[in-house]
Amino acid sequence: MSEIPALDKDKGPAKVHLLPTTYLPTLPPQAEAYEYHRTAHTPIIIDNGSTNLRWGFGSSSRPNEEPKTFTGPNAIAKYKERKTNKPLLLFGEAIDSESGARGQARTPWEGDVLLNFDALENALDYAFIQLGVDTQTVDHPILMTERLCSPLHSRALTSELMFELYSVPSLTYSIDGVMSFYQNHRTTPLNSPFMSNGLVISFNTASTSVIPILRGKGILSLAKRIPWGASQSSEYLLKLMQLKYPNFPTRVTSTHTNWMFHNFCEVSSDFPSLLRQLQDPLHFRASEVVVQFPFVLPVTEEKTEEELARITERRKEQGKKLQEMAANKRMEKLLQKETDLQYLTSLKESKGTETKKEWMSKLQAENLDSEVALDEIIKKLEGDLKRARKKEAGEVDDGPQEEPSFPLLDVPDLELDEEGIKEKKKQRLLKAGWDARARARREKEREREEKEKEEKKEEDERDQDLGGWSRKLRQEQEALMSKIKERSRRKAALTDRKSAAAQARMKNIASLAADDRVPKAKKRKAGGEDMFGADDADWAIYRKINTAAPSSDEEDDMIQLQIIEQKLLTHDPTFTLQNTHASIATQRSALMSAFRPSYEEGDVEGNARIHLNTERWRVPEAYFSPAMAGVDSAGITEVIQNLIPSFLESRSRPGVLDYLDDRRQVIQNIFLTGQPSLIPGFSTRLETSLKSLLPPDSKVTITRAANPALDAWKGMAAFSRTDEFKSAGCAMTKEEYEEYGGDRVKRWWGGNWNGEIGNSVGGMKVDGENFVIEETMDVDS
Amino acid sequence: MPPKGGFKKKALSDGTSTPLTPSLAVQLSYLHQPRPFKNPNYSKNVNRRAKNLKAVLTQERERERVEREARRLEREHLMKVEPDAASRIPEEVPSYTTVEAPPSVLPHRHLCDITGLEAPYTDPATGLRYHDKSVYEIVKGLSAGIAKDYLSARGVNSVVK
Repeated sequence: MSEIPALDKDKGPAKVHLLPTTYLPTLPPQAEAYEYHRTAHTPIIIDNGSTNLRWGFGSSSRPNEEPKTFTGPNAIAKYKERKTNKPLLLFGEAIDSESGARGQARTPWEGDVLLNFDALENALDYAFIQLGVDTQTVDHPILMTERLCSPLHSRALTSELMFELYSVPSLTYSIDGVMSFYQNHRTTPLNSPFMSNGLVISFNTASTSVIPILRGKGILSLAKRIPWGASQSSEYLLKLMQLKYPNFPTRVTSTHTNWMFHNFCEVSSDFPSLLRQLQDPLHFRASEVVVQFPFVLPVTEEKTEEELARITERRKEQGKKLQEMAANKRMEKLLQKETDLQYLTSLKESKGTETKKEWMSKLQAENLDSEVALDEIIKKLEGDLKRARKKEAGEVDDGPQEEPSFPLLDVPDLELDEEGIKEKKKQRLLKAGWDARARARREKEREREEKEKEEKKEEDERDQDLGGWSRKLRQEQEALMSKIKERSRRKAALTDRKSAAAQARMKNIASLAADDRVPKAKKRKAGGEDMFGADDADWAIYRKINTAAPSSDEEDDMIQLQIIEQKLLTHDPTFTLQNTHASIATQRSALMSAFRPSYEEGDVEGNARIHLNTERWRVPEAYFSPAMAGVDSAGITEVIQNLIPSFLESRSRPGVLDYLDDRRQVIQNIFLTGQPSLIPGFSTRLETSLKSLLPPDSKVTITRAANPALDAWKGMAAFSRTDEFKSAGCAMTKEEYEEYGGDRVKRWWGGNWNGEIGNSVGGMKVDGENFVIEETMDVDS
Repeated sequence: MPPKGGFKKKALSDGTSTPLTPSLAVQLSYLHQPRPFKNPNYSKNVNRRAKNLKAVLTQERERERVEREARRLEREHLMKVEPDAASRIPEEVPSYTTVEAPPSVLPHRHLCDITGLEAPYTDPATGLRYHDKSVYEIVKGLSAGIAKDYLSARGVNSVVK
């Protein structure tokens, strides 16, 4: 009884469903001409549901024709159009024609309670206008639905509207689930008595009702309302989706989830076994339904080849120009230096020809104070020029190759004058610098050689035994990763005050803070000295207790890890990107990726997708255990289970119940109605769970209304044509309304019991027949 | 008419270029359709807007309590006068509050708060139920706020400590 289709691996992802496109509302359909109904005073049937309002005349002007039903979302919007500044009043689907109107939409219902009577009045206006009522009053008997045991406040105000605003002659309330049952079980001809038995499960928008019907009468004292319905299911699904996709690009609304709920959800016939089945990621993937939300592809600016070529050309040219400019500058500098050099050498040469004084003054003019300085500067310029020429020729300058001489160093101090000693000191310093540089160069050289040797060795090793080499490196990688993991685990443990790591840290801190860190006995032995710090390792304790300190080890490890991984990636063909630390750290289990498949960062289409999998069964399951969604109430099965003692005779207390056969039929004949009953699997689930509750060999039949959405209205229309309706045994007339008030009704088989005339203050109802049933029942329930 | 709207309207009536075709919403509006069937003398009930859901339900509960009490007294009185008649009086009249399904007494199945699968484990830190090790990795990474959201989906509203 697998509910999950086998995954077809070749097929790829499951079918992707697009969100339904919304159509613009059209003008409402025309009702048939009012002429006939004006004089016939045909009853008007109104099914006032919390999602949809359905209305129409109870019979057609042509005798053999089914009466026409009109239906629309039960909401109105008062709205001022922006363009013309005209006030508008819209009903039902028409609200969708204007985005601004949607925000102004009001519905008569607040959850399960009829509360907003302005909206109700507007909705009823619409219905009566649409039916073409053109007389001074709505001169038709009204048959209207009411929620199971509707609060009297709601009823009183509805009656007030009907009798005082619309001046209807009579008003009858009925319960939608019962009337749907009537439509599917009534016998022909029309006026034959209605004596069917069954258990109605009425799936409403904000609640689900279980109503037993015994010998054609709704037993409301045993009826139960479960505060879980389609709207709660949609909200629950919405919540789950928001948690599953916290960063979804478009706003998911309850309208979307409502659509998903009605189209993709299923009731599991055996929820626990289904969950076990789903543990297998393959099954998990197979069970999913993908919903594609609208998305906009990002606009990428595409340039033509020509443009690209032009851009590179321009760039090249600019580069060239810059290079030229730099070369020119270099050239100029070089020329300058060359002329300088020429002048200075000529100056040096002129030393012989001119007088010393003249020559010195010339030198001074050049900001030089001695011949030595002149020599120096000439030497420097020459070197510069040499280097520049070499560079120009494309050679790399390696700096001065030959070791400069330091002649003074070998001369003893005694042979030198003061100048000489100064010079010697200078030369010593210079030599030390030179030596150090040479040492560093040699060191570098050695290191490079060593590295090369090592690399060579590693290469040889790799060439000889690739497996062993890669094993070794992999072990190293593993060790580093576990080290990193251990560190992060410790970090996480430290955030928890009660963890062992945190406690150990506290202990360390305490012992460091204590004055007599060294025990007294030990102190005496070690000469009373605190030996902390004698060993360098002692200081590690401070690193250990400082949780906030950034660990340099961590960075080192990461670098080391990267080197190893890079080596493995280039040389070991079996080591792929998936084996790297980074991808392992972000890897998700098969289960999690089946639960919420991830798409690439830039995949706009994929990121606008919702994958429904466990939710498809999880959400409808709440009908059977609302507790899983946080509603503390018995589910459908439990409510039925509680009803069993009232309908099956117990062996210990025989003779308490009457109409035993009829009662047994009630519990064995389950009838489903209301839109959510169309969700696949309700029948099978109820059948299996009921069979386990009832005595063995009990025959259980589960039927669903022929039209779960419309049958309540059709049943009411059919009832409005019977003599029973016309006899006004169930309707409140205008006089009765004035006498008893708007919250009072007469008790009849299809209506509510609360607020019943005559019974409200404990008086007995005249019609005793109705009591036979409940009298005996109450003993056991 | 607010001044802003007035200005707009003026601009529109001046514009002679294109005659305005009524939008779909204007066509669908039934604000100005005649409603001869409505009683012009009816004045709205004052209670109509004053009561919110909570007030209505409280009123309903209170009314029911009073009724039940009255019925009890009546029954006691009847028992004194005529002992046989007691059984003929109905115990309960169903009302909005009494038809409410009772709380569940069946044991709850533990489901994984993340995936919806069976959940044999509970994270002591957040109270989230989880299916296995791989889900626990996710649970560990959740911030306190998100963990709370997950809990509230199952109706557990954690108390701030």
